[in-house]
Amino acid sequence: MTEFTLPIAPRRRARPLAMRSVYLIAPAALFLLFFFVLPLADNAMRSFVDEATGAFTLARYAALLTDPFYLRIMGETVLLSAGVTVISLIIGYPVAYFLVRKAGRWSALVIFLLIAPLLTSIIMRTFGWQVLFARKGLVNNLLVNQLGLLEQPLRLTNSVEITIAALVHVLVPLMVLSITSVLQGIDRRLEESAQILGANRLRTFWEVTLPLSLDGIGTGAILVFMIANGSFVTLVLLGGGLQTLPLMIYQQFNTTRDFGMASAMSMILLVIAIACLWLQLRIVRRRGA
Amino acid sequence: MISTTAHNGVDAPRPARAGPASDLVLSGVSKSYGSSVAVRHLDLSIEAGHLVALLGPSGCGKTTTLRIVAGFETPDTGEVRIGGVDVIDLPPHRRSLGMVFQNYSLFPHRTVAENIGFGLRMAGVGRAERDARIQSMLDLIKLEGRGDTYPSQLSGGQQQRVALARSLVVNPKVLLLDEPLGALDRSLRESMQFEIRAMQQRLGITTLLVTHDQEEALSMADRVAVMNAGRILQVGAPSEIYDRPQTRFVAEFLGTSNILEGRASSDGRALVVPAAAGGEIVVPLGEPRTPGEALTISVRPERIALGTERQPSVVNIEGRVTGAIFRGTYAAYQVEAPGLGRELFVYRQADGPLGSVAFRLGESVVLSWTPQDVVVVASE
Repeated sequence: MTEFTLPIAPRRRARPLAMRSVYLIAPAALFLLFFFVLPLADNAMRSFVDEATGAFTLARYAALLTDPFYLRIMGETVLLSAGVTVISLIIGYPVAYFLVRKAGRWSALVIFLLIAPLLTSIIMRTFGWQVLFARKGLVNNLLVNQLGLLEQPLRLTNSVEITIAALVHVLVPLMVLSITSVLQGIDRRLEESAQILGANRLRTFWEVTLPLSLDGIGTGAILVFMIANGSFVTLVLLGGGLQTLPLMIYQQFNTTRDFGMASAMSMILLVIAIACLWLQLRIVRRRGA
Repeated sequence: MISTTAHNGVDAPRPARAGPASDLVLSGVSKSYGSSVAVRHLDLSIEAGHLVALLGPSGCGKTTTLRIVAGFETPDTGEVRIGGVDVIDLPPHRRSLGMVFQNYSLFPHRTVAENIGFGLRMAGVGRAERDARIQSMLDLIKLEGRGDTYPSQLSGGQQQRVALARSLVVNPKVLLLDEPLGALDRSLRESMQFEIRAMQQRLGITTLLVTHDQEEALSMADRVAVMNAGRILQVGAPSEIYDRPQTRFVAEFLGTSNILEGRASSDGRALVVPAAAGGEIVVPLGEPRTPGEALTISVRPERIALGTERQPSVVNIEGRVTGAIFRGTYAAYQVEAPGLGRELFVYRQADGPLGSVAFRLGESVVLSWTPQDVVVVASE
């Protein structure tokens, strides 16, 4: 950059300028160092150190990765996130397609409606679901008292289904926006070429549109998966007996007060998140090449 | 043009299901978007095996016309017949057409061979036959052995040839070319003009070419249809369109024209152009007109001879050189004719030393042409 701003200046002078630009990110870098990197490092250390003896240990990780109880929790966490991801994709893709191809001048409104749930506080949103589906909530009231379809109110809160619905509700916009940005970049003439060559609409979608939007699907899926994996408030309030890693970490910190174990668990959660990011970067880089 | 007989049946791969070529007829086709009319009651027919170029400025409705033929747009009125069958109600994928877009529109996620074979796969052609036909197409476009590469690894000209192969391999009834050379370098464009024309003639495929490039239209087409504001103004062989433009628009859109306006003389054998200071310039006409009739004429710059002396028995107009540009094969001059109040353009073959122009700025010259070089055009 400095070579462009000072084309006539000798190369030697470019160095101090480059150094100076480092100062611009210094405040942010320092902030992150003290409030993010160091605590994280501290956390990692804690997970490897035996509290009683102060010696290095892998016992916690051994337990986490072999004990069926912990494995089941990790499995449940990943399964829940995967389910939320798949449902978000199934709901989100048609919305993204509509947004790009059909909405026209209404697209701004559709995007607003999409993002609106993200603008409300997560606590409010989650309580909203509770109000809606409580024993004497709106839905049960409608089913039992208004329509008389049921004798007994349904037990809807504290269920896996409601938890998934609430997570999908928040995460679908991320899926839609990821897919939208990729769909917008697809040249309509590619689809028209396929049609002229004898592909009907469904075939055109299957052969051209869908493969070309895989990037957006990948990005959206990884984003949704990562956030669902780390979601906490929704699970605490609507949980339905689900036991996931974030809940377990909370429990270890506040109830069991086994800080070492909590640290080890959060490291595993972090590793899953980093693996997802790595996967996404790989996908994008492969496509870009 | 490359001889068609030399290639036929010798090394040209024969289309596997080549039927007789179909003709394309558009009649009374209109299309409006809201209050703006894109195509006005358009009639156009292309004989089987011919290439017709739809030529016009951007926004003249030529692309809309092409998209109507393709089936991407539905006309408000009119018929589109391919081989005698009205196809208006058929969706694009059932019209058996080939189409090449300006930006090639190759599927980026598929190899060259997969791109070429796409239409065959859609048509349910078996793998063995498909591979054979892809191979022969790759040979035809001189990309043997490149079937496994991706479009992004090819040059613009190569991509263009793949796009052409992809649309031809299915033996379409009609080939549609939408500004097919617009994205290529000038030098490549010229060789592609020859190549596409040769392939089109070899396969004998009915083709509609849409372009705003007059050179492309004149050099590739059997017939050129000049379009403006949703209407076809004139259809004819390239030389006819160029030498005998019927309207001022056609004269000015194709090449450069010197347009003069005035009235027919009392005997109808000349055009009288009012000049400054009450004078007039008399331009003899090739054919007599009604005396007193308001006329617009066009004289092509290359029809005008530039000299220092008046020539006998031709039109002579004296002037002064106000601009001279060397253009390689010819030199372009701007000459101001006193009294006419405007400049005339003259092209002169560059027969002098390289990089030179034969006449200098400010030099007095005589412009001369014969009455046969004068074309009377409609003033619109």
